[in-house]
Amino acid sequence: MEGAAMNAVVPMTVPLNAYLAVGTILFVIGLAGALLKRNTLSIFLSIELMMNAVNLLVLAYARMRGDATGQMVVFFVIAIAAAEAAVGLAIFVALFRARRTIDVDRLSSLKW
Amino acid sequence: MSLELVVFAIASGLAIVSALAMVVVKTPVKSVISLVLTFFALAVLSVLLSAPFIAALQVIVYAGAILVLFLFVVMLLNLTQEAEGHDERPIQRLLGLVSVVALGGLLLGVTLKAGAPPVPAAGGPIANVKDEIPILGRLLFSDHLLAFEALSVLLLLAAVGALILSKRRFD
Repeated sequence: MEGAAMNAVVPMTVPLNAYLAVGTILFVIGLAGALLKRNTLSIFLSIELMMNAVNLLVLAYARMRGDATGQMVVFFVIAIAAAEAAVGLAIFVALFRARRTIDVDRLSSLKW
Repeated sequence: MSLELVVFAIASGLAIVSALAMVVVKTPVKSVISLVLTFFALAVLSVLLSAPFIAALQVIVYAGAILVLFLFVVMLLNLTQEAEGHDERPIQRLLGLVSVVALGGLLLGVTLKAGAPPVPAAGGPIANVKDEIPILGRLLFSDHLLAFEALSVLLLLAAVGALILSKRRFD
């Protein structure tokens, strides 16, 4: 497929549905972590996993359509995740210094 | 069975197992390490999807930068174990589990049913790294130039915000 295949869609060896299944399973695992974990840091990790699962889905569809714009979307998601991680972790450090815990069950001052 | 299928099976199996380990494990450090494994497996999957540039970004930015940042915070806060003791909200946790299983089944069903839409044969898949980088670069600096500039401002703001947040004094 070198060179000549740039303008023809090469069929995928691994079916698209396999990628979709893996991405969706990873997303659901991340969702379970985000809902069930008690440590704020672990919840944040789970959210990162969910973003990556969606990235995989976007890449799979981009590959299927043979369109590089999907890769651009993933590029932006990764960059925004970096910004989000910096601010989020700074918030956790500040939170820990103020309250000495980052257990979600202990942090209820914003609750109605 | 082709080589690509074998690599796909190994990488996706590793990704799912280590993601499960990330959720199940109690120690935050082990959680972060297993998420690193997941991201490496996802990088392999990106290569299979003929996106080697994204795979490199995945390893450098996600596994290299973001998760190292996580590890630093874990060590800084000295988080050895998730808080032990009895669960204070068993009903909420059960409801959470039920909704995860329900939503997971629903999502899986819908995505697999949606599957492949009819392909509008627009362009071809990107063949190799040598051809890919110029295409991505051209896209980034023509169609997505405004988003790119906005992104650089966002990253600067995030850096300044993180600095201000971590310098603040608490009495």
